[in-house]
Amino acid sequence: MQFNDQIDFVRQHIKKNKLRVFMTILAATMGTAFLIVLASVGFGIHDTMRNEILDNRLVNQVEVYSSEMDQAKVEELKKREHVKAVVFRQSVSINQQTELDGFIGSHNMTVTEFQEEAKVGFALQEGRLPENKHEVVVGSHFAESLIESETEGAEAEPSTYKQSLIGKQFTYKMGLYEEKELFPEETTLTIVGIAKEPAKDWVMDTNIYADAAIMPELNRIFTGHVEDMDSQLFYGNVNVYADNLENVTAVSKALKDEGYSVYSIADQLEQLDVFFLAFKAGLVFVGTIAILIASIGIFNTMTMAVTERTREIGVMKAIGASPKLIQRLFLMESAWIGIVGTIIAVVISYGVSFIANLVLPIIVSTALGEEEFTSLDITFSIIPWQLVVIASAISITVAMISGWRPARKATKIDVIQALRQEL
Amino acid sequence: MIQVQELTHSFKIGKKGKERQVPVLKGLSFTINEGEVVSIVGRSGSGKSTLLHILAGFLKPDAGIIQIGNVRTSAFSEMESAKFRLDHFGFIFQNFQLMPGLTAFENVELPLKLAGVAKKDRRKKVQQLLQLVGLTEVQDHYPNELSGGQQQRVSIARALITDPPIIFADEPTGSLDSETEQDILLLIQSLNKTRGITFVIITHDDTVAETADRIYRMHDGELTEGGVHHAI
Repeated sequence: MQFNDQIDFVRQHIKKNKLRVFMTILAATMGTAFLIVLASVGFGIHDTMRNEILDNRLVNQVEVYSSEMDQAKVEELKKREHVKAVVFRQSVSINQQTELDGFIGSHNMTVTEFQEEAKVGFALQEGRLPENKHEVVVGSHFAESLIESETEGAEAEPSTYKQSLIGKQFTYKMGLYEEKELFPEETTLTIVGIAKEPAKDWVMDTNIYADAAIMPELNRIFTGHVEDMDSQLFYGNVNVYADNLENVTAVSKALKDEGYSVYSIADQLEQLDVFFLAFKAGLVFVGTIAILIASIGIFNTMTMAVTERTREIGVMKAIGASPKLIQRLFLMESAWIGIVGTIIAVVISYGVSFIANLVLPIIVSTALGEEEFTSLDITFSIIPWQLVVIASAISITVAMISGWRPARKATKIDVIQALRQEL
Repeated sequence: MIQVQELTHSFKIGKKGKERQVPVLKGLSFTINEGEVVSIVGRSGSGKSTLLHILAGFLKPDAGIIQIGNVRTSAFSEMESAKFRLDHFGFIFQNFQLMPGLTAFENVELPLKLAGVAKKDRRKKVQQLLQLVGLTEVQDHYPNELSGGQQQRVSIARALITDPPIIFADEPTGSLDSETEQDILLLIQSLNKTRGITFVIITHDDTVAETADRIYRMHDGELTEGGVHHAI
């Protein structure tokens, strides 16, 4: 029998029992839609949490900690396989003060290698990178934290620096927190660039970014006032950047094996992904139970179809239809119920998901009385194509399994008994 | 054409564990030649329908050999039997056995669909046969919209559609009035003469049996050859 004729045959039988088939499809639709929508919540929460972690963080970054970190070790790290850049940032650990045209501020100095920073996206909104040890780049909020010395401490609203910073020179002094007076030595620095604003609105960047070449000069000032040999002016952290996301784990593992303490966002994401994989599998399992319940309807419908058509099946077998063909026709019928149910369920699920993402934030924010909630980027439900494929496969497979036994029953119908049935 | 040797069959009756075997066919041997019309006549319970079911492959015999042409059909599996029926047999049943959800045209077309014949080839052939049995006018009618005679003609057209060399007719006029019965018998004779089809007619009716070239009489699972009308 040609495939088109088989489809025709199935279609004719479905048309004869429209209501019954419709109700069965409805059950299959509800089961499948339940599975998709339920699992979509898992996908939605997973996505939200991933975005939260990845927001403003570099995913190929591996933070490396070592008590004996020095420039030689950093150079060694740069030569490793799959390492794009190694950024060794060192910050001054004592009290600091800057003064520019009568405006005073307390800014933290960070020394780094700009060549490496540039490789991993250190960008300027204005100016250029430093070319000598007395040139610096300042954070985007540097000017806002410079307060006019006359208004400092007064009750009036403090006046902040409003003019352009590029090309301006300022003095930089250090001191100990426990002493009132700062070290008398001043270092004059020139602002040549302003760093790009951080992606997060609430992050203030008031740092001074200087080249590592300035370190000996600052260390000399520090050691001239502090006798304790154990105390250090700079403390640093090293970030290793893998050339791509796939190599983060390999780079991270190699560093761990050599005794470094490492942390990478990829590790955190991996743990999160494992957790959510189990969570989503659990949701799919619960959803599958709904499909299994719907499958009882398919089983009943198909069993009734076989019972009602016993005589017709007998006639077909008598005139030469093979048992395999009979079985295939009934399996096609149950698969058809599964396929139509699944298609409708997918469409409905996308609709429900869209409405949920639209309405739920409003409901939650109203219930909690938090206006800010709606502005947060929270996705309640996401239906990726993989979920559609998984749900469709489960739904259609369950539908076909439900139709399997009735189809087998049809093949075993005795021709003689069937032909004896009254019309 | 059809050679049967030492064919035996029995049914199990009674409750499970206390069944007993009731022999229905007791070592039948006979031959039906190509192009013959053969009647198998007998009373109810004589075993004639069981014989037809075994010849058609609906039932497997306990023992014996059935050879059709050069093929030993008694050794067939269910699948082989179905394929052989589709290619070599046509069936005419007492109660027509038409598909109630299909029109006269679609009922006649069904065996061709099962054989995988293309739609355009089917159409032409079905129309030719409906014309032959005189049902062109009612080809789009469903079985419940046709008279008994018309239904049996649809059934005959369906039996002929695959050009089978053998047609089994099980009480072909059992549900028809005497006038229509004569029409159907004449049609069978005409098909036998014009197309050379072998007909095996199972009947309890002497009048029907007498239209055959040869008559076998069945009694209590045994078969004898001979005249019918005067013999019974």
